Amino acid sequence: MPTESSPGPPSIEFLRAIAAQQGVDPDDADLEAVLGFLSVVMPGLAEIERRLPAETPFA
Amino acid sequence: MTLVETARRVQSSAVSAREAVETCLERIERLDPLLNAFIHVRGEEALAEAERAPEGPLHGVPVAVKDVIDVAGSPTTAASKVLADNVAGGDAGCVDRLRRAGAIVVGKLNTHEFALGATTTSPHFGPAHNPWDLERTCGGSSGGSGVAAAADLVPGTLGTDTAGSIRIPACYCGVTGLRPTIGVVPTTGVVPVSWTLDTVGPIARSAEDCALLHAVIAGERCEPVEGIRGLRVGVVDALFDRADPAVAAQVSTAVDELARLGATLERVEVPLLDDAGTINQLVLLTEAAEVHLRWLRTRLRDYGDDVRARLLAGLFLPSTAHVTGLRARRWFDDGLRGVFSRVDVLVAPEMPVLPPRIGSDTVSLRGRELPHRFALIPFNSPWSLAGLPVVSTPAGFVDGMPVGLAIVGRRRAEEVVLGVAHTLQKATDWHEQRPPLPAGHPSNE
Repeated sequence: MPTESSPGPPSIEFLRAIAAQQGVDPDDADLEAVLGFLSVVMPGLAEIERRLPAETPFA
Repeated sequence: MTLVETARRVQSSAVSAREAVETCLERIERLDPLLNAFIHVRGEEALAEAERAPEGPLHGVPVAVKDVIDVAGSPTTAASKVLADNVAGGDAGCVDRLRRAGAIVVGKLNTHEFALGATTTSPHFGPAHNPWDLERTCGGSSGGSGVAAAADLVPGTLGTDTAGSIRIPACYCGVTGLRPTIGVVPTTGVVPVSWTLDTVGPIARSAEDCALLHAVIAGERCEPVEGIRGLRVGVVDALFDRADPAVAAQVSTAVDELARLGATLERVEVPLLDDAGTINQLVLLTEAAEVHLRWLRTRLRDYGDDVRARLLAGLFLPSTAHVTGLRARRWFDDGLRGVFSRVDVLVAPEMPVLPPRIGSDTVSLRGRELPHRFALIPFNSPWSLAGLPVVSTPAGFVDGMPVGLAIVGRRRAEEVVLGVAHTLQKATDWHEQRPPLPAGHPSNE
């Protein structure tokens, strides 16, 4: 179901595709470790997106 | 001997600049095999430079800088294999100011790889060891700076601080560190972590030492305010409640001392305190990924595992995360400004725990086992995000290990936060304690 904020952590396959587009070639162990970070940061980002007042200026 | 005392002794000709440098080099040679604070020692160059050091407030004073800061003709490795062969073509802006003030740079100090971590355990150059317990981390990322100051290898050092990297090692090593207001000290010639969060600042024995170093590298007057009678001190209760109870109790004795010295204490709540760590990560990780993109493409396997994962995480965050982070930073800053309308400084434990064992990634905090980096974020990221000056000053000991008090000020209030630390240091002797290096070691003679 569509939501108004960023979704949760992506799959390893998705990360590998994004990395390839950027010219970066991580292995599976790298991507597993990245998922550990993203599993914390992405829900936090979604929460901030949800609560950030719309009138907040840029920097 | 403190930096201020060293400067006085050289200026009064009690010792020559060469003798001051020789003393440091001898001490480094004896102790650094235990501590691993240095990545590169500029022995011959420093001795030669001592013979022609210009007059100035740091005339003939030996210093050392974190190995992300360029010193012309010396390696800048950032403790990484990626930059193993990199030699600086010129001085960083802060080093140029140190040299013009007469300081002698005796070497480059160990750091967490690319200043992207809080333990100074580079897989390429080895861990720096906490002089209070060689089995424990010294903190980071400016770990070598904290160790060198605590073990009196040099009287003054420079570190960098993006999200706690000066304050954490200063706290864990029992010395004083200043993260200055963002933009006050030039970051030219410094390997970046994050374009909008990076700062350069001093780690040394005392607040007076840090004030002298800061004045030089900022190129402006820095005289810590005298006395704190009537100063309004906001106590961030939420951070005391989150810290290890023994650490919180010890740091509270330092806060009580501020009250005894005349400060007025007020309990405060900081809006969005729980969100500041996430906001900081959104900005820091995406900017760091941009800095490193060329090496992620060509040298990915040359990074240590932890730093590689952090940089890739930044690469995979959506571009909107950076913009959201910058807008949320403003949101946080607005709330904090309201707090500073009622108080002059904020205080909190600098770190919630004692330094973990080298090789241990987790700490136990109030019955929970959690990654060390998660434990430290709420105590450091909020003030980085707001770009405010923060001093970490020694606040006593728990189980023989130092703990620290963070003193946070308004923008450009370096003289205030250093003045609070200086006043506390005049009334206590925590900052004067020396680590018990191994028995029979020459440093204890």
